[in-house]
Amino acid sequence: MLLTSVIFVLREVLEAALLLSLLLSLSKRLSIVSSWAFIAIVTGILGAAVYGFNIDIVSEWFEGVGQEVVNAALQMAIYVLLCIVAILAMRRHQDRPISENVLAVVMAISVALAIVREGSEVMIYLSGFLQARDLLVPVLAGSAIGAGIGVSAGAVFYYSLLSLKRRAAVIVGGLLLSLVAAGMAAQVAQLLIQADWLPSQYPVWDSSWLVEENSVSGQLLYALIGYESTPTPLHLIVHLSSFVIIIFLAMAAGRSGTASLENAHA
Amino acid sequence: MSRRLGLLLTFAVCAVPARAATPVIEIEIRDHLFLPSEVRVPAGQKIKLVVYNRDPTPEEFESYELNREKVVMGSSKAVIFIGPLKPGEYPFFGEFNPKTAQGIVIAE
Repeated sequence: MLLTSVIFVLREVLEAALLLSLLLSLSKRLSIVSSWAFIAIVTGILGAAVYGFNIDIVSEWFEGVGQEVVNAALQMAIYVLLCIVAILAMRRHQDRPISENVLAVVMAISVALAIVREGSEVMIYLSGFLQARDLLVPVLAGSAIGAGIGVSAGAVFYYSLLSLKRRAAVIVGGLLLSLVAAGMAAQVAQLLIQADWLPSQYPVWDSSWLVEENSVSGQLLYALIGYESTPTPLHLIVHLSSFVIIIFLAMAAGRSGTASLENAHA
Repeated sequence: MSRRLGLLLTFAVCAVPARAATPVIEIEIRDHLFLPSEVRVPAGQKIKLVVYNRDPTPEEFESYELNREKVVMGSSKAVIFIGPLKPGEYPFFGEFNPKTAQGIVIAE
């Protein structure tokens, strides 16, 4: 029971922890006050509890696919917020005026929503053991260990990103942000296919022989780039196009910056 | 605008018979076990899976092979669409009780 809860909670925590670390390192680089992270974690956990304890009501919505639709909406919102982060971070990187508060709030909401999404499943999981007193202690211990490993992985990630030189950090950080964001968007497609709101198709390939989704590397790749061993054509199209869109938005924000700087010099 | 609406209606009308033909497969969860733990479904077709959780505790239906993940609260049911599947075996499990809650979808 203990090991099951370690693995389960780790899986859920990892994705939100990596996103938080990525945005925290970005915020540190851009000299944004990082107190937004604390507020995001607290509101995220509260939101996860509210969502988790009302999941039975949500599940009934849209003829039984309310969970998929609400989760897809959460993921979509995170993707859009990360696009805004990419644009603002690029402007800030070029020393152009942006509202620090807006960037901090956008980062905070995206992390809070990610915690709501992943944390609600942890809340539901734990709620199942509230009555089982003999299991509650090992389950809570296992969950704490799992959460601890997830947070540690996030910390390692955070310090590795901060150890990069400025130029490498812009490229690596920007690329990771885009990959994570595209992974979030791909989950929207995945959830809506499951809900039968988008057409279901045969997968394009099966790369489970290479990286199994339930392996450690599979889980890490899932959290980082939204790895899916059997993607359908629609899933792939959404994944790739959302990656291209966020890169395009960041580059466009960067280009207009360079242009206006040149104008200023001229 | 009206042409777009017409197109939408055509799609809607076309979608109805396809939806009605979707086979429904029912699975129960009892004492953290899937019953039946082995379900046979036609290959190459979309399937509507209805999972009834008879336990008071929540469970999460999860399958890497089917690409599906969904919470099924205690004493309630969940609808999960799967497929179209190529012939083969697709294991699924209950993520909250993976040691006991194991099952397999066989597409043929």
